[in-house]
Amino acid sequence: MKKILTLVLAVLMILSLGACGMKGGSGTDNEPKNLDEAVTMYKDLMAQENEILSKNKKLWETVFIAADKGMTLQEDFKNYGDFLQDTIDSIKDKFSDDELKTLKSEAKKIQDIEKKLTKLEEMYPEVAEKAKEDSMKESGDGSMCVPADSVSANTKKFPSFTAKDLDGNKVDSNKLFAGNTVTVMNFWFTTCKPCVGELKDLEALNKKLAKKGGQVVGVNSFTLDGDKKAISEAKDILSKKGISYKNIWFKSDSDAGKFTSELYSYPTTFVIDKSGNIVGDPIVGAITSSDQMNALNKLIDKAMK
Amino acid sequence: MDKKQNAVSKLLSRWRGLIQAGAALLTNIHLPNFFRGGIYQGNGKAVCVPGLNCYSCPAASGACPIGAFQSVVGSSKFGFSYYITGFLILLGVMLGRFICGFLCPFGWFQDLLHKIPGRKFSTRKLKPLTYLKYVVLALTVILLPALVVNDVGMGDPIFCKYICPQGVLEGAIPLAAVDSGIRAALGVLFTQKLIVLIAVLVLSILFYRPFCKWICPLGAFYGLMNKVSLMGIKVDDHKCVSCGKCAAICKMDVDITKSPNHSECIRCGKCINACPTNSLCFRYGLGNDMKEKK
Repeated sequence: MKKILTLVLAVLMILSLGACGMKGGSGTDNEPKNLDEAVTMYKDLMAQENEILSKNKKLWETVFIAADKGMTLQEDFKNYGDFLQDTIDSIKDKFSDDELKTLKSEAKKIQDIEKKLTKLEEMYPEVAEKAKEDSMKESGDGSMCVPADSVSANTKKFPSFTAKDLDGNKVDSNKLFAGNTVTVMNFWFTTCKPCVGELKDLEALNKKLAKKGGQVVGVNSFTLDGDKKAISEAKDILSKKGISYKNIWFKSDSDAGKFTSELYSYPTTFVIDKSGNIVGDPIVGAITSSDQMNALNKLIDKAMK
Repeated sequence: MDKKQNAVSKLLSRWRGLIQAGAALLTNIHLPNFFRGGIYQGNGKAVCVPGLNCYSCPAASGACPIGAFQSVVGSSKFGFSYYITGFLILLGVMLGRFICGFLCPFGWFQDLLHKIPGRKFSTRKLKPLTYLKYVVLALTVILLPALVVNDVGMGDPIFCKYICPQGVLEGAIPLAAVDSGIRAALGVLFTQKLIVLIAVLVLSILFYRPFCKWICPLGAFYGLMNKVSLMGIKVDDHKCVSCGKCAAICKMDVDITKSPNHSECIRCGKCINACPTNSLCFRYGLGNDMKEKK
């Protein structure tokens, strides 16, 4: 029953978010009207999560021990629930069928809760910090079962990838993001006029960012899977426009490839911080206009903080 | 035989509203996308739909022929849109402006708007404006996208970008409603086109199908194809008593008895139902009316 309720709530929330949009704000009961409400909701959700984890403490401990060994894994997941599911899968022979079932369904609940938490964080970026402070004040001992850095796992990660640039050199997302103070990922395609129109602006931005340790990276959606013809056409445009920054492609069935094929407005530009998190909402449309450029610069400043 | 044909024609015309609704639904079948945001990008989009129906409508099942034509003719990769031209000629020969009357969602939209009660105005005196759509077709769909190009040979889809109200109605408005990124990107261009949409909306209430008559490049193309289309209206000169009721009821300002293949005729069949002597009916096939005239 609780599960159904959670699901219904989650669906309602996603719908209401879609209807009112991020800017629109209030209007439904599921959306917090201000930061305080968001913090309350956030804490509530965290409490629910802790309750789930403490209910089957023994079982979860087994999971956490396994997780500790492969802690780096967590970086690859946007959702802490996904991470739990995966860890459970990796050690499933340690549990009986019934135990596995319980763990799985509980992890599903956590997934749903995490989704809501992410939504809250998207609306109020400072909510996690505040909720954490408050709960520290209240409990003092910090008896949370959730690993301390789970909060950072809630923020939206850019799907990690092993890509190649148009000359065939390997590009690893972890190294790429970690090596830059900020990474600006621009999605474009060869026959898109506004995309081609902003290439020079992106080149200028890349030069500017280089001084601050940042980088612009292009992804041409036609070149996914390393299509040779598409790569040569993309290179042709890039050389005509005098573009020197890196352009890369992924396999279309990879996470990053799927991420790309879900985009439907081009160009779209993402700002990614050092730890691989997507900062704010992507810039949709060319950055040629000063409004769009300002919005982009704000995201870049935020990422470098 | 003729009697049966006439009865079928009348039925087809009477059921027109339902057929229009069905066609609009079929060409926009991916309805959940309206709430999810995003557009369908599957294989269906490799094919054009017959009517004016924006590719960027979240629910659209296919591509708009006018949009597809411009984006291909304007791309640096291709010289001319052979595939889409062929497709349009095929549809034109098969159905002509029957598509406007029965299959086009934007035509249906204007039909519905015109049902809003109030004072209605005739467009008979505005006939010269009907030639404007050929200019729109030649300039904004064919010539400008192909000829006005940037340094790497890419043109703009001028009609889609600056004129098409269907794009705002089906694409920009629903997408902006659910996608904050797109909402943030809306600018002057959107405002301009929203004004075009509102103007078409208001005019559609006052006049019958102003967009189809004066602006639509797709209507212009199918209008030319009306002359050679297999789908047509047959006039039985032996039965016709020249009462003029057909011309009087025609909202597209066509006198069907004088010119059964007129480029303005959208084959709605109102004249067929108005004819007191049953001398009109839809025909399908080669040159029936030619024989009648001899």
